[in-house]
This record gives sequence, structure tokens and C-alpha cells, in this order.
Amino acid sequence: MRGIDYVVKRTVFALMTVLVAITLNFVIFRAAPGDATSSLAKCRNCTPEFREALREELGLDKPKLEQYWIYLKDLAHGDLGDSFVTRQPVWQELKQPILNTLPMVGLGYLISIVLGVLVGVVAAWRRGTFLDWGGVSTALFFYSMPQQWLGLMLLILLGGVLPASGVSDPFIDFLDPSWWEVVIDRLEHMILPAATLGLVLYGQYALIVRSSMIEALGEDYIMTARAKGLSSWGIVRKHALRTSLLPIATLVALTFGYIIGGDILVEAVFSYPGIGLATYEAVFDRDYPMLQGAFLLLTLSVILANLVADLLYFKLDPRVTG
Amino acid sequence: MSLLEVKDLHIWFDLERGGELHAVQGVTFELAAGERFGLVGESGCGKTTTILALMGLLPPSASVSGQVLLDGVNVLARGERSVAPHRWRDVAMVFQGAMNAFNPVKRIGEQIAEPMELHGIAEGREARRQVGELLERVGIPAERAQRFPHEFSGGMRQRAAIAMALACKPKILLADEPTTALDVMVQAQILQLLVALADDFGLALVLVTHDLPIVAQVCDRAAVMYAGEIVESGPTDALFHAPRHPYTRLLFAATPDLYGTEEVASIPGAPPRLDRTITGCPFRPRCDRAFGRCVGERPALKPVAAGQAAACHLNDVPQEVPA
Repeated sequence: MRGIDYVVKRTVFALMTVLVAITLNFVIFRAAPGDATSSLAKCRNCTPEFREALREELGLDKPKLEQYWIYLKDLAHGDLGDSFVTRQPVWQELKQPILNTLPMVGLGYLISIVLGVLVGVVAAWRRGTFLDWGGVSTALFFYSMPQQWLGLMLLILLGGVLPASGVSDPFIDFLDPSWWEVVIDRLEHMILPAATLGLVLYGQYALIVRSSMIEALGEDYIMTARAKGLSSWGIVRKHALRTSLLPIATLVALTFGYIIGGDILVEAVFSYPGIGLATYEAVFDRDYPMLQGAFLLLTLSVILANLVADLLYFKLDPRVTG
Repeated sequence: MSLLEVKDLHIWFDLERGGELHAVQGVTFELAAGERFGLVGESGCGKTTTILALMGLLPPSASVSGQVLLDGVNVLARGERSVAPHRWRDVAMVFQGAMNAFNPVKRIGEQIAEPMELHGIAEGREARRQVGELLERVGIPAERAQRFPHEFSGGMRQRAAIAMALACKPKILLADEPTTALDVMVQAQILQLLVALADDFGLALVLVTHDLPIVAQVCDRAAVMYAGEIVESGPTDALFHAPRHPYTRLLFAATPDLYGTEEVASIPGAPPRLDRTITGCPFRPRCDRAFGRCVGERPALKPVAAGQAAACHLNDVPQEVPA
């Protein structure tokens, strides 16, 4: 049966990537100058003795190899360690930020995919017209924009109309809101960061969809479809779209890492308490367990996204044999 | 009244660097129901352009004048609106063997059923049943409808393409180099199939090819095209044995003979450029019988024998029959 081989191969490959990522996770943060005590023990009355005691308590006095071993052992038990700053389990510290980030990133993705496919398809379909020209230049404009800058611009332009920070109105609970009002409030808070992520990404999607659509429309079978009597929109919908969306399946997964990176910047700009902001703060505190935990989850999600794309491509294109 | 009449068809292409290319220059022919008609000529002579125009499939850079009468109705009269309803219902097409006529990501059966559903002939289970019948008819097991195009060999794909062309039981089948890129055995099978199906379904067949033996094998009548115009037309036998245009004669002389007794002669030179106005006879520079009149005056297609017409000044000179 076609496929089992392919699925197994892809999955094993993904698992190996995870192993490499775990190790890199450990190395990278320790390679950075300074450690947790340099910021945690940054007080007027902090003596070198206090600092040493802190190092010992956090396990930073042990040889690096032993630290690595402990890290692996804990990880194997599903234990991400305790945050240096709050002394709470990392998992517990990350749970809420993840729940805040997921719908926001999802909305951003949705915006970019819908907008990207729409603009790309229409531009290719109406190639050479004003619609095409306008679509391509707008896409290029957003594609070439730094995320944090676009975020700041949106904040300046729309900060008064839409809430500019947080995930929800801190006073909403006093108003005894219906579930619907809660949803609207959450949406209002996530729309700006989500739009920032979506707008930067949609341009790339639109350009790729357009070019692969134009390529598909030049294929021989498009002539057959015309001869069969399909309308020009029917040809786009029934024949060209399917083949030209194949590269998008991969691209969406590949840009997932980009979304994650952008998420850190965007959450910092909008003070959106998600996993991005948590990571951003953990960097300043040299909170190794938090960073390791956050990065592990981010890496896992990117690897998973790539695996899904591989499998999806396989499902969409009957010619892929693995 | 003929099933299909093409009257004074002209096609121009706008060139990107400016100017126009006059690809088809006043093509006129008729096709009776059930007739098998060949359109012959070398690459770039306008054969494919002509038949694409019959279905209104030319790219936007093309402009067309003249008439294409299907059962007496001009299908080109109102552009897309008048030609679209006839596509595949009345006139279907088998594309070049080398072309990927099938969408690689859709199942063969689905693609054959598509025009049935589009033109309201059959749907769902009934469409699937008809697809199976058609596939069986062209020699492919019905269950292969579930397969994807890349799982078929070149010959099978072309058979499936023929089955697809028959999906709406058209009156006319246009076949554009249907056997190009197929090996000789498969070529012969595909041609036999086309002839058999044309008889079974009462199809009129227009076969476009540069391969003269194929025309001789398949067609009742043929037209020879050169530089965008028909230079000679008539019964296939007459074209072979009594050609009335030097190009027809030289074209046959350029075809290798299976028994290899005669030497294959090539025609020196190349066809004229179609982005420039041609004065005189377009074939004159390559013709072995050209004379004074050919330089300044373009010969018109005139009847020369029963059912045979040629565009050559030599036919006006009684004592000098050009064959």
C-alpha cells in the first residue's frame, strides 16, 4: 500500500529532528554570556556568597555535562524543570501564555492564508490587468515590511480604536458579561497582533499562489478543460487551484517558524501575554528552564507543522510516492 | 448542407514586439457528416491554429475573421457566448499524444465524466457507468477509471483521451496529431481505433497531421496547407496520384517509401515568414516549376477536377499539367 513507508520515514525523520533540537536547546542558552544569577542577584545587598548559594540552589555549579544529563532525565519524565524566577514548574508557567497565543496565531494564519490565496488566485486569473498589478504591489509592500515596525504602525494608527495591550479587558468580569461579550473582547484584543502576523505573511503567500497559478494555467490540461466547455472561473476552481495550492501546503508549514519568531516580536510590541512575551522576558532573566521549555514547545510545534505538511502534500498529490 | 463549413477564415496574432502574424490566410473547407477529413502541412503552416479557431480556443492575442458554420449557424458570431455551448457537445477534440491532456491530480474517470456533468448529459452513478462503457470501448478495463493519469502508459492515456472526447457523443471529432510521440505499433492501434469509433458513432473526423501516410490510411478527403492557406484539397487518392500543386507533389516525394525503391527528396528552403505581407505565390521560392506569373500574382484556390481544387497558376496553362 502506497504511503505507509512514506509516513514512517517522515515520522522517524521528525523524531530525529526533535532529538537534535533538545540538545541545541540546552547548549544555546548556556553559550550566551552571563547566567541567571547575574540578573537575579543584581541587588545592592547581594554578596558574592549569596550569589554562590543561588548558583548552588539552581544547580548551575554542577559541570555542564551533568546539567545536561539531569535535563535529559527530567525531560524523559515529562518534567520541564522549575522557573528560576518564580520557582514554579515551567509547564504551569507556560500553560496560560500558550492558551493566549494559540487563538491569536491561528487568527493571524487564517488572515494570511485566506488573503494570500484570494489575492494570488485573482491576480493570476486576471493576469496583466489593474487587479493583478494592484494585488502584486500590495503583496510586495507588506511582504517587505519588518513585523515589529508594522506592529508599531498599527498600534499608532489603531491603538485608540482597538485595545493596544493584554488579552482581555481587566475590568470585564465586573460587568457580568455574557459568553458572547467575552469572545468579542478577546477578539478585539487579538486582532491587532494577529493582523500584524497575517499581513506580513499574506504577501509571500499571494506571490507564490499567483506564480504557481499562472504556471498551472499554462498547462496542457487547461486547454482540455477549456475545450470541454468550462468557463474561465470553472477552470481556475476545478483544475488550476488544486495543483497551484500544493506549494502552499508546504509553505504554510515552513513559515510556521517565521510566525513563531514574529510572534515573539509582535507580542512584545502589543504586550500580549502569550508564549512570545514569556520567552522575551525569560531571555532577560536568563531563566534557562523557562527558555528551554518555551523553545522546546516552539520547536516541537514547527516540526509537527512540517510533518503535517509532508503528509498533507502526500494526500493532495497522487504522484508523490515517498 | 454540410455539417461544418469554414468560410474564408483569417487569423492574426498580435506579436509582443509589435506587428501581426497572419497565421491563417483565408481557409475554406467543408465537412460532411461522418466524413474523415485530413488537414496536412508542415509545422507552422496553421493547421492547429485553424482547428483551435473552430472551437474558439485561440489565445486572447489572436483575432479572427470569417465564418465557422456548424449546421448552418455561425458559432464565431458572438464570440465566447456562441461557441461555448458547442464545445465538447458538438465538437470535441483529441490533443497531441505528447500533451498532458489530463490533470495529473484528478482521477481519469472523474475527468471523463466532467463534460457529461457540465453539459447535463449524465451525473453521478449514470455518468460513472457511461465512463466505464467508454473506457471499455477504447480497450481500457472499466475499473481503471479510478486511476490517475501518471499510472497510464502513453498509449493508454491517448485511448483515455479519445474516450473523454466521446463523452458527450459529439458530431465532430478534431484530432490534432493524435499519434505524435507514440511508438509505431501504438500509433497504428490508435488510428484503427479512431476509424472504428468514427464509423460506430457516425462521427465526422478532422485529422490534423504532418504525416501523409496516416492521412492516406484514415481519410476520405484532405487539404494541404502551406503558409496559412489551403493550396490543394481533394479526395485522398487524387492528392496522392494526381496532385495539381507542386507542393503536394513534392511533399509526397519527401515521404519515405516502405519498399525503399525511390529516393526521398527534401524540399529546399523554408516556408515564408507570416509576419510580412506575401506577394505572389507563397511557395514560389521553393517551387521547381515557378514562372513569371508566380512572382506578382497570388494564385487562388480553383477547382481543377471532380472534388479537387488547387491554388497554382500552372493549372491555367492547359499544355503544362504540373504533375
